[in-house]
Amino acid sequence: MAKRKDKQGPGGASPRQAPTGQAPPRPSSPRPASPGAVSPRAASPRTTTPSRNVLYLPLVLTGVIGVLAFLPRVQDNARLTLSFWGAVAVLLVWLAVLAARLKQRGEGREFTILLRQQHYIQACVQLSIYAYWGWYWRPVYEYAGLFLAQLAFAYAFDMLLAWSRRATYTLGFGPFPIVFSTNLFIWFKDDWFYLQFLMLAVGFLGKELVRWEREGRRVHIFNPSAFTLGLFSLVLIATGTTNLTWGPEIASTLTLAPHIYAYLFAVGLVCLYFFSITLVTGAAAAVLFGGSALYSAITGVPYFIDSDIPAAVFLGLHLLVTDPSTSPRTPPGKLVFGVLYGLGVLALYGMLGSAGVPTHYDKLLCVPLLNLSIRGIDAMVAKLKASGAWQGLRLEWAFSRPNLAYMALWVPFFLIMTAQGRTDGRHTGDSLPFWQEACEEGRATACERLLRLEATYCADASAWACNELGLAYTEGRLAAADAELATGYFSRACELRFQAACMNLLAGEGGNRSDPRVLDLRLLTREGGLNRMDDSEPEIYARACEHGWQFACNRVARSL
Amino acid sequence: MTAVLKRWPALAAVGLVLAVWLSLSLAPDAPAGQATPEAPAVELPAELAGFRADAWFLPDDGMLGFVEVPGGPFTMGSDRAVDPLAFDIERWSPTQAQGRVDVPTFYIGRYEVTGAQYAVFVRESGHRVADQGALTGRPNFPVVSVAWTDALAYARWLEQALRASSVTPAPLARLLSDGWHVTLPTEAEWEKAARGTDGRIFPLGDAPRAERANYQGPGLTRVGAFECPECPYGLADMSGNAWEWTRSPYQAYPYDESDDAASLDADALWVMRGGSFSDGPQNIRAAVRGGADPGARRPFIGFRLALSR
Repeated sequence: MAKRKDKQGPGGASPRQAPTGQAPPRPSSPRPASPGAVSPRAASPRTTTPSRNVLYLPLVLTGVIGVLAFLPRVQDNARLTLSFWGAVAVLLVWLAVLAARLKQRGEGREFTILLRQQHYIQACVQLSIYAYWGWYWRPVYEYAGLFLAQLAFAYAFDMLLAWSRRATYTLGFGPFPIVFSTNLFIWFKDDWFYLQFLMLAVGFLGKELVRWEREGRRVHIFNPSAFTLGLFSLVLIATGTTNLTWGPEIASTLTLAPHIYAYLFAVGLVCLYFFSITLVTGAAAAVLFGGSALYSAITGVPYFIDSDIPAAVFLGLHLLVTDPSTSPRTPPGKLVFGVLYGLGVLALYGMLGSAGVPTHYDKLLCVPLLNLSIRGIDAMVAKLKASGAWQGLRLEWAFSRPNLAYMALWVPFFLIMTAQGRTDGRHTGDSLPFWQEACEEGRATACERLLRLEATYCADASAWACNELGLAYTEGRLAAADAELATGYFSRACELRFQAACMNLLAGEGGNRSDPRVLDLRLLTREGGLNRMDDSEPEIYARACEHGWQFACNRVARSL
Repeated sequence: MTAVLKRWPALAAVGLVLAVWLSLSLAPDAPAGQATPEAPAVELPAELAGFRADAWFLPDDGMLGFVEVPGGPFTMGSDRAVDPLAFDIERWSPTQAQGRVDVPTFYIGRYEVTGAQYAVFVRESGHRVADQGALTGRPNFPVVSVAWTDALAYARWLEQALRASSVTPAPLARLLSDGWHVTLPTEAEWEKAARGTDGRIFPLGDAPRAERANYQGPGLTRVGAFECPECPYGLADMSGNAWEWTRSPYQAYPYDESDDAASLDADALWVMRGGSFSDGPQNIRAAVRGGADPGARRPFIGFRLALSR
């Protein structure tokens, strides 16, 4: 592989881009002096000579997908297997057409090897999150073959897309963070896995095709994974097909890993350090913590049901919204960007909840819009800097601090939030009796949240919760009476051997209720996802007592 | 044309969005193989001898298969001195082998509910079928693989259908308008219907007879296939063929319908009666009591209906 200095730059951008081997042109805005410079760091690129032989690379990757199709995990589901073969077929056809066209024109293709820091560091951080999360939620590990297939697909697709449009493909770790980041938020169920491939394809198409001029360079507008996640989220919501994905499970099982906030915070520091994005993350977190606290102070109930910031949102504000390529360059711009993300998540959570749509899309929908706003944010900051107010308020001083200074603020902020019990650990909203009491007292949205919580527990096989839902719809107390819904909930509870529900079903009316059983309590006290299945009965009753279940306290007292 | 070509990336993006939208819009409500199984298309015969295709395939008689059991006392439970096959749980109390229970007049199905009857219910109500075994049996065989909740749902639906329909025979319509309900029999109603008032051990007498009931056999048979002129009230298959759900929770004797809601904290267990094709003589006795989870769907558990006040 000979070194080339006369070819296009990384990513095959327009000829206006700087030659490879040099640092890309930097914006005129101040650059942090910390080790975490905004610019992506990269080793010197190496470029092959043009040849059609390079097409063997996507061919081999396509073969990898074909081989992975024989994994038992894939073979267990005929539609999943078909999705794999569909991806293979699409790539092979594309490859054949491209090869024929190149042969006809007598052209070759080449690739430049360029390892960008922002890609491999992010990929390592994401991989560590999968490793930790998967240790406590095994479907992540069982998904490994599907990850590999997506990586192979992503590389092959990206290569074919690049070589269909230009001579050079920049080979590095670029597809890793796109695949990992996408999968941290949405997995399509096995029957619909072809949409996972399509989602990745849309991400790469968005990166390749949807571009604009920014600071003299033609660059992609959207964070590729956030773009495709946002787009697919919109479509899933609009078509009422949110049940095709494991989105809720992904969002809720992160907390199965103990101290997940602390873990995300710790690995997030790596990104914050290297990519100078502390202001984005910190500002978003401050808005979310502040917004939650304000709402709670006004209404008496938490804004997010069982946390101050849901773990998946906390993950998002470290890894989804912080792509340095698609966020503002200037410190004030980053601050505004973070604030807008925080406000966006707060607003979307409320809107989605009101619309009866799964709320875990809150962190995904606003990122593409924010990506679109960065030129405006940068322009606004430039305008503000030019104004007298900037000088008058001495803002230059505040925003000229190096990234390490912002990190020095972020670390104690997080530690204080943790010390106050606002990250890991039990949360007021984990307690169902709290919501029952809040509902009886008529606190804002408490009854609606109580119903939503009971529906979640019922879906997870808590017979007690199903019976309570049946009673709610029979009595028309928490929601409009609905006999059919009530019968459905009573039936489910009865089949889960909850005798009160069977009696309600038989009588065709409510009235029979009893305390949660041990299995119910194992679910009702799981505090965002902890596994209580192996806890002893005394431990479960003690925990239930801590949650405010009076009958459990009585039982604990009797056993003393 | 050139301008359009220049915009192809945007057009491609729009096309992709539309493709995804279309794909998801055409998606079925629940993906195959996931939590909610799709009910198979229910095929029903145009005619079925002895049953009315125009009346939900109920038996072709003046009461659509409901038989009156006059009110009055009967002997419930078993005395091991008389019936050596009796189980302990059939004993009335520590001091008394059997009890006398006064059961008001009720009506009970001549036959067990059939596959055709249940299939009509599924087709017309959209009731979720959790076990396909409920729909794959023959139309005039007992429906099995149905849970207690399914049986109750069928009874509710049939009552509504009978109330709303003009084909409902007048005597039956009158009972319904007088406040009678289609439901499952209590275990007292079932036992009285099975053994009558003379305290017999089996519905057909004090000894089992292979030609009178489907037991110790290879599988289900057509409802009413075994004639039993000796059986009280002319009911078929009270012994064997399929176990039958009742509307009584399992509780220790003495039987008292008024204390059904006394043990709400216990795990639900509901009484089934009559034994099945695979059982021996001990389990097809009139007083035998089976218990099952209300969600159990087994290929040997079905049900029959009752009309009660």
